[in-house]
Amino acid sequence: MPRLLSSALALRRDPRILKIPPYLSLLCILVGAVWLFLLPLNEYSRRTYISENALLPGQVHTYFGGSDQNVFRAYKQEVNSLVGKSNVEINDKLESIVKGLGLKTARQNFTYNAAGRTYAGENLYAILQAPRGDATEAIVLVAAWENAKHEVNKNGIPLVLTLARYFKRWSLWSKDIIILLSPDSIAGPQAWVDAYHDAHDSSRVASLPIKSGALQGAIAIDYVQEHRFKSVHIVYDGVNGQLPNLDLINSVVNIAGGQMGMGVALQEMWNHNDKYPDRLRTMLRGMLKQGLGLASGPHSSFIPYHVDAVTLQPFGEGWQDEMAMGRVVEGTFRSLNNLLEHLHQSFFFYLLMHRERFVSIGTYLPSAMLVAANFTIMAIFLWMKSGQPEEVPAASTPESSDKDTAAPTAERNLLLPLAVVTLSGSLSAIPLYIFNHVPESALTPSFYFFLVINTLLPIAISIVSTQLFTPTLQQFHLIKSFSLLLLGMFLSSLATLNFSLAMLIGLLSAPLSFVKPYSSPVARIVGFIILNLTSPPAVLLASAAVWGLNVGDILREAAVAWHVTGTYSAVVVWCVWWPAWLAGCVCVLGKPIHQEGKVKKA
Amino acid sequence: MDGGKVTVGRMAALYAGAAVLRLAIFTLLPDLPDLLTGRVEISTPVTSFKRLQEGLFLYNHNVSPYDGGVYHQAPLFLPLFSLLPNALSYPIFTYLLYIAIDLLSAGALWKIADSGEAGSSALFTSPRRERRWSGFVIAAIFLFNPFTIATCLGRSTSVFTTCAILRAIAKAVSGAPFSAMVALSFASYLSMYPLLLLPPLLLLCFDRQRPERANKSAVSFATIHVPVVFGVLGLLFGMSYLITGSWEFLPSTYGVQLTLSDLTPNVGLWWYFFIEMFDSFRSFFLAVFWLHLSCYVGGLSVRIRRQPLVVLTLLLGIFAIFKPYPSISDTSLFLAMVPLYRHVFPVMRYSFVIAAVIMYASFLGPAFYYLWIYAGSGNANFFYAITLVWGLGQSLLVCDLMFAVLRDEWELERPEMAGKEIRQI
Repeated sequence: MPRLLSSALALRRDPRILKIPPYLSLLCILVGAVWLFLLPLNEYSRRTYISENALLPGQVHTYFGGSDQNVFRAYKQEVNSLVGKSNVEINDKLESIVKGLGLKTARQNFTYNAAGRTYAGENLYAILQAPRGDATEAIVLVAAWENAKHEVNKNGIPLVLTLARYFKRWSLWSKDIIILLSPDSIAGPQAWVDAYHDAHDSSRVASLPIKSGALQGAIAIDYVQEHRFKSVHIVYDGVNGQLPNLDLINSVVNIAGGQMGMGVALQEMWNHNDKYPDRLRTMLRGMLKQGLGLASGPHSSFIPYHVDAVTLQPFGEGWQDEMAMGRVVEGTFRSLNNLLEHLHQSFFFYLLMHRERFVSIGTYLPSAMLVAANFTIMAIFLWMKSGQPEEVPAASTPESSDKDTAAPTAERNLLLPLAVVTLSGSLSAIPLYIFNHVPESALTPSFYFFLVINTLLPIAISIVSTQLFTPTLQQFHLIKSFSLLLLGMFLSSLATLNFSLAMLIGLLSAPLSFVKPYSSPVARIVGFIILNLTSPPAVLLASAAVWGLNVGDILREAAVAWHVTGTYSAVVVWCVWWPAWLAGCVCVLGKPIHQEGKVKKA
Repeated sequence: MDGGKVTVGRMAALYAGAAVLRLAIFTLLPDLPDLLTGRVEISTPVTSFKRLQEGLFLYNHNVSPYDGGVYHQAPLFLPLFSLLPNALSYPIFTYLLYIAIDLLSAGALWKIADSGEAGSSALFTSPRRERRWSGFVIAAIFLFNPFTIATCLGRSTSVFTTCAILRAIAKAVSGAPFSAMVALSFASYLSMYPLLLLPPLLLLCFDRQRPERANKSAVSFATIHVPVVFGVLGLLFGMSYLITGSWEFLPSTYGVQLTLSDLTPNVGLWWYFFIEMFDSFRSFFLAVFWLHLSCYVGGLSVRIRRQPLVVLTLLLGIFAIFKPYPSISDTSLFLAMVPLYRHVFPVMRYSFVIAAVIMYASFLGPAFYYLWIYAGSGNANFFYAITLVWGLGQSLLVCDLMFAVLRDEWELERPEMAGKEIRQI
């Protein structure tokens, strides 16, 4: 072993070894990307299964129906008469209905300020105390007055009211049932969950007057369409890419698909033929949503508190009516009611590609890790390269010229590279602050202004540093080495928290591994243009164009997500990706003080 | 060296910069100190500021602070902190105290650096000693080290131990053995483990005695100074007894460190091991772990006798890895001493790997802890795996520094081998 180690140490001076790393890191990126496309194959994905035996999904008869249909129609009549009224008026009416059912009700005010707008409202909630429980556990049934697309939840609200009335009649509940009626789909549930766990800022979000036990699960109903539906769409993405336990999704799939005989769709794949292209599309859509980390429905805010939650949306033309939807919720609640402990058996990290097919973290994580590893490999490579003595001693740094040690590695001049990397890191606080605090009207102008500044900044830094410090090739290697080291480190840490975001950023910043200070002006300009095409603002602009969205709207959504739900994707973009990009640009534009021939060789 | 005036100006600027940075974080991000106080990487059961608050509350209500089994710190902290206004209503006084302690530590470090002891001790003068950083740079590296800043913000009481240790070393290099012994006894009183630094510190004091009143015999030097340590310790114990009214504090402070009765996770290697262990093996392995921790003292003191400051530095690194309740504060103390050996950095072989491993571990650690405790999607093994990596990074640094120092000594004996590759035959 020691001999092996010393021969390995000797080997690292071998010039042939130093040729390998760039190819190795290219290979890492390619393997990482190809890996992702292999996942939907039968050999790499698995069928879903229920891990928690206590759930017993679809094993009970559901009795919701019959005369409840008349109750539903009556409630629907009441709710329809409220459309267009103010939040408080709606809550007054709904509260009188819920009180009439014999439930304890309470209200909660909240106010969020984001992007110059105020998101305020009042949540109404009621607690159905479990006849067989001791108020230590609860499950939540959520219906937002407006869904995420700002359509009125015309069937969802009456359905929840009907279900509350129906649940009240049963004596089998062992967990409290909380009915939450929020004015909107994002801020309201967020304020409520924060306050439920006493994690709220009491100056903006009121505390909850009554509470129940630990939340075990939540189901949100988003039922907008008026006609009969065909299938149920399960929305499961949480804030910051966190996912509910796979058992919850499996239970709903089992109950809706197996027991009720309706279809189940994921990720807006309305027709899924379970073939490779559809699986891949489902998976990539899921990854994109996970990577953005935005809240996708009322359930999203629950997941960071380790409360497994999904939103159910009926869709399509079919013959299923509101009662069928109610029975799906009833069946799911009966399963959750059976739980002896928190959902923990099944996976928290998975990519779904069909309602019955998934890959777990052990299978997909290597792809993001390989992409992150490519940066680390390049960082180590550049560090070793910077330590090699340069061919012409006169050109080497002043310190390495002292002859008394004649060490095989050249002395590295660390101060300037560290300063550049620190500078680019600390500059990143500026865009992060601006885009999260500018009012909505100023978002688009400040974005274009930033785009211009963003293009000029590397040029300015490069000119200033060249004039003042005359950096050597070694220092450029070190700048790149440090920034890639940091990037690789952040991305591999991030991959454990939000795989998709790490993968996206890793692939988008892959060019940074391969740019270097070019000697010829043409190559330098080409390199700079390529980097500018993959810069964070350019990618934002391009994705806005691809999806036909307005840049201002995207930035507003991001600012709202930052202030309301605490989405950290902006931090990753501005404080991880952008500094690395800036350091890469400074490297490309750098003119190391050498004769032309030497630079080419390096 | 700079002129006196310039040094004073630079010192004032550095201290003001460090103090302003800390105060700015305290005032601009008022939630951050409490967040950091709760982090297991910063606060251990024996240094946590939260637990100190608990002890203080009990003490101010005339209940023994050790009732309830939460407070495991030295009793003399209690009168000190009860002199300050309440940390919740007037936190600024606590902040100022912690900032002052950091600056005192930096001052001590500055003295150690300017003494040149790292490059040329009484028995050995490194051929590379010319290449070194001034006290200004070394103090700046300490003050602006993120680990030091995080410890200061987290108000861990280990900063007092850090300060006492650095003061002891500074006194030793400036030829004041008596003060060095007193400072070391304070450090030992606060955290116990610094007592293990006594042998190398004695050697350092012995080497750096003022020539006009030098004691030529090491044995008589030791017999004069070792009792000082125990005398001061006895005095401190006596005062503690008077304050708390019983000897209960001994098992609650030092006993907890010796028997590891609080198994709160930390960045060290003990907690997981003792969680997993069957009770019948517990006392055996406690003895083994403590023996392992203390066995380095003798070996290093003998092997690197010519440079006692190196022994102290390496021991601080070893303690930061292997002591029962380590935190990033111990690492920051070790990392503060390492730059003194700027002259052997070119001989070190793994500096980049070490930096990368330590940085990777310090980012992955909180991420995995989050997955374990908050997201519930990981488990204890995640965090423990990262503490192993963290320990690996630090032990690489200890080994590499030791290698570099020994090679530096060796090249003086065998000048013809300078610059040659090391090979095991």
